[in-house]
Amino acid sequence: MVPSPESTHKIQKTVGNKPLRSHPAAAVSIIIFGLAAIVFGLALSVSVGAADIKLATVWEAVFRFNPQLQQHQVIRELRIPRAVAGALVGACFAVAGAIMQGMTRNPLADSGLLGLNAGAGVALAVAFAFAPSLSFIYIMLYCFVGAATAALIVFGIGSLSYNGLTPLRLTLAGAAVSALLLAISQGVAILFNLSQDIAFWLAGGMGGTNWIQLKIMFPFVVVALIAAMMLSRSITLLSLGRDVAAGLGQRTRLVQTTGMLVVVILAGTAVSTVGPVAFVGLIIPHVVRYLVGVDYRWIIPCSAVLGSLLIVFADIAARMINAPYETPLGALIALIGVPFFIYLASKRKGELS
Amino acid sequence: MFSFKKKSLGSMKLAMSGLMVMVLFLSACGNNNAGNSANSGAEVSAAPTVEASTAPAETTAPAVEKTVTDSMGHKVIIPANPQRVLGSYLEDYLVTLGVTPVAQWSVPNGIQDYLAADLKDVPKISYDLPLEAVTSFTPDLILIQSESEVQNGLYDQLNKIAPTYVVGDALSKDWRKALLTIGEILNKTPEAEQAIKDYDQKAADAKEKLAGAIGKESAAILWLVQKNFYIVDETRSSGAVLYTDLGVTLPNLVTEIPEGTRATWNPISLEKLAELTADHIFLVNSDKTEGSAILDSAIWKGIPAVKAGKVHELSSTASWLYSGATAGSQTIDDVLASLVK
Amino acid sequence: MSKIVLSPYERQRRTRGITVLSSLGILILAVFIVSMNTGFMRLSPLDVLHTLAGEGTHQQKLILFEFRLPRIVISLLVGAGFAVSGCILQSLSRNALAEPGTLGINAGAGFAVIIYISFFPASTTASVFLLPLLALAGAGLTATLIYFLSYRKEDGLSPTRLILIGIAVSAGIYAFQLILSLRLDPRNYQFVATWIAGKIWGGDWRFVLALLPWLLILLPFSFYKARVLNVLNLGDQTSAGLGAPVEKERILLLAAAVALAGSCVAVSGGIGFVGLIAPHLARRLVGPRHQVLLPACALIGALLLLTADTLGRWVLQPAEIPTGIVVAIIGAPYFLYLLAKSKA
Repeated sequence: MVPSPESTHKIQKTVGNKPLRSHPAAAVSIIIFGLAAIVFGLALSVSVGAADIKLATVWEAVFRFNPQLQQHQVIRELRIPRAVAGALVGACFAVAGAIMQGMTRNPLADSGLLGLNAGAGVALAVAFAFAPSLSFIYIMLYCFVGAATAALIVFGIGSLSYNGLTPLRLTLAGAAVSALLLAISQGVAILFNLSQDIAFWLAGGMGGTNWIQLKIMFPFVVVALIAAMMLSRSITLLSLGRDVAAGLGQRTRLVQTTGMLVVVILAGTAVSTVGPVAFVGLIIPHVVRYLVGVDYRWIIPCSAVLGSLLIVFADIAARMINAPYETPLGALIALIGVPFFIYLASKRKGELS
Repeated sequence: MFSFKKKSLGSMKLAMSGLMVMVLFLSACGNNNAGNSANSGAEVSAAPTVEASTAPAETTAPAVEKTVTDSMGHKVIIPANPQRVLGSYLEDYLVTLGVTPVAQWSVPNGIQDYLAADLKDVPKISYDLPLEAVTSFTPDLILIQSESEVQNGLYDQLNKIAPTYVVGDALSKDWRKALLTIGEILNKTPEAEQAIKDYDQKAADAKEKLAGAIGKESAAILWLVQKNFYIVDETRSSGAVLYTDLGVTLPNLVTEIPEGTRATWNPISLEKLAELTADHIFLVNSDKTEGSAILDSAIWKGIPAVKAGKVHELSSTASWLYSGATAGSQTIDDVLASLVK
Repeated sequence: MSKIVLSPYERQRRTRGITVLSSLGILILAVFIVSMNTGFMRLSPLDVLHTLAGEGTHQQKLILFEFRLPRIVISLLVGAGFAVSGCILQSLSRNALAEPGTLGINAGAGFAVIIYISFFPASTTASVFLLPLLALAGAGLTATLIYFLSYRKEDGLSPTRLILIGIAVSAGIYAFQLILSLRLDPRNYQFVATWIAGKIWGGDWRFVLALLPWLLILLPFSFYKARVLNVLNLGDQTSAGLGAPVEKERILLLAAAVALAGSCVAVSGGIGFVGLIAPHLARRLVGPRHQVLLPACALIGALLLLTADTLGRWVLQPAEIPTGIVVAIIGAPYFLYLLAKSKA
């Protein structure tokens, strides 16, 4: 069977008229300049905050650390882990989104919109209610389980149905599963008087990230990102349609399963650190595809870089907009993400159903 | 899709029988519960006004029914001698005046622990005052602390159960005024005045002792809950006691909070806390489990008062987050125990 | 999308319509009785009967007539309102998954109310009648926004786009709501949180009074327009061919649906899924003709919400689960089931 006309059309539309086009040069420059921008963003992120600390002091704290000085401690213990975690989390959300969009050929796939974040949220609400003193590693594992459950439900519904996973069906299933899981978390929260705790968590934010969390999440993120890179070729083929991929000798089921596992780990890690931030995984892969073409060997690393960049700068904005209070990161990104989603949804006529 | 199908008559029958079974089951449960609980039904018919004439007069002047206006402008007819008072979140005042409420404020995970000794046998009522629960306590007077508790028609519903008086946020800010108002309503003005006098005397004594013990040293009050710190300013609860009544010097971070952005709770980031120069810290720790990680951090340990070992930890059951004569008096005891050796 | 499958047994269908409607009535009555017996204070059915006959104690009368009865009536009204609103929206958009919740209309109405509660927390009496108006304004604005965002010259109001944009707009409103609600003090926050979760909190006759006029106008209006809905449901071209002034009728009905949802949200908070499930169940029971479908919808919606509210009061006594959560926990799986079965 030939590639489904829809899918290639979709790809061509964003890249021009030649099928399967990619721009390695653009990709390489995104990675180089993106990394430079991330370094700049991290530096900026480390120098802004509630306490007024001079740039010179920041420099000293990094390179000539003096544990006796409180300002050095603030930089070391609070701001650096926060900035680094932001970069990691951004990469997680963006790559998770890219993988999902590629594997499901659904332009609206995102861990938030497909209910994975809400799944992690329920797991967390339950954890808060019954075992309030969980350490971060368990919180993260709970999030994995929750995200995986949500993914199973959403994709299960999608594949059970008559003609497979259409983007619309997937998005609707995601919305319904989110609503269900959110209702359950709210119920738990109201019964155990956790409402505002949960709300703060739901709002998403980088406050309170520490080295211990970073140490725990880091290996998961690295392994998942490497796995994503290893899958990237197969994902490119899958994005052309399952039949094409199978025809070219891909073991599609295996690829999809591993892919989902990677997504669950990425989303679960990210959600357990910042809360359910949606739309990063939606926006970034689209922008990247527009810039570098359809080859996931480039899309995945570029998504990681740009995702990091988005969260690092959004987190800086979250701290500066209404200082000394923090604006919820999730809400902030939703305000960018919603218009983008609307743009995507109205751009494609008919294709989505 | 979802087009009409013939078999749906069968499925409707099935659904209906299912629902009927459920209905029967539910009503059976309702019956069971109803049996063991026909308690206070009869009491309620005895109108409070009848009681008033026979009740022993606690004040010298014979009590009479009176009409007062509450903070929301309701004209409230206060029974001559209220016997069954419900004052959700106003228990401090009631305890101070020697009145035992019919029920005490509670949330799913707690009550006002510092009053536990005085309210040992008082049943709990949820903070949102479920109407049927309120009815079951057959109050003859309901006192409400804040306008926001009775918004959107709840006031009128409560008022059907018993006369309901809203003390109001403005008055509650100053517990002395609130105490006098409540005292007046309950015909206990002398008790209220006495309680304030006693408290002020206690505060003045404590102030003197403190001046000798710590002089001009400053102290901060921090509340740690859910991994977040909140700092208490001089306007409420233990802050009012410590800074206003006992004359302890305010720490730098409180004076730096801009006037306009002050909230009921002033959240403070660990980052900001690193700059705290107070000589003493009173730490109300409501976060025994998760908070411990924060208290182990290098930043917390680097705060001068922490380094100097001048952190006075109070349990989450302490009175420090509450306002009132009883709360304040307990706070003074805690301060003296911590600072005056 | 739902198709009209003309049944050859027209007469049989009509009798069935009557059977279904009256069975639903009986069921509502049954749940009504159970609901009257459910609550924090235990009243035996005998007590209830006594009180209904006017012989109860003051306390019993208070509980039945002032607390339980208005709440039951509100549940019934709100359920009917959401269900009919959902039914109209489904037929108009020819999208079986449309309802005020998924289209973001509830979110808009709720947002207006929350803004009001956040800024004027203490106002009481006036707000009972003001809230429906505010919610209506919020719902109207959101619906207009969604309409314009999803309407395109080439292909009109694509059902798919409508839903997707509805989801997006709800997400946006939710983000604003979150920013706003975190700034509330904890006690107001609790109120708003329970309200968002969908709790029939206005257990007061005045809320019935505030809601009733809207329903008394809008429900008969939509029943009256049943024939137009039948035609519109066929699709623009067909209905234009049949001589219906498509755009005008559609906007009128859309306004009715939005107003129904908005006034209900004002009293009950964001209760989703009723508007989705009720029309589906109704269609299975009585078929796609709106003359019977709409009344059946109203009854099923009323039954659903009353059952959910009763369950919410009963399951975890003395704690109450907000009705919206009960409905979502029942409704979302049904939605997913529909989704899995649907061929769209």
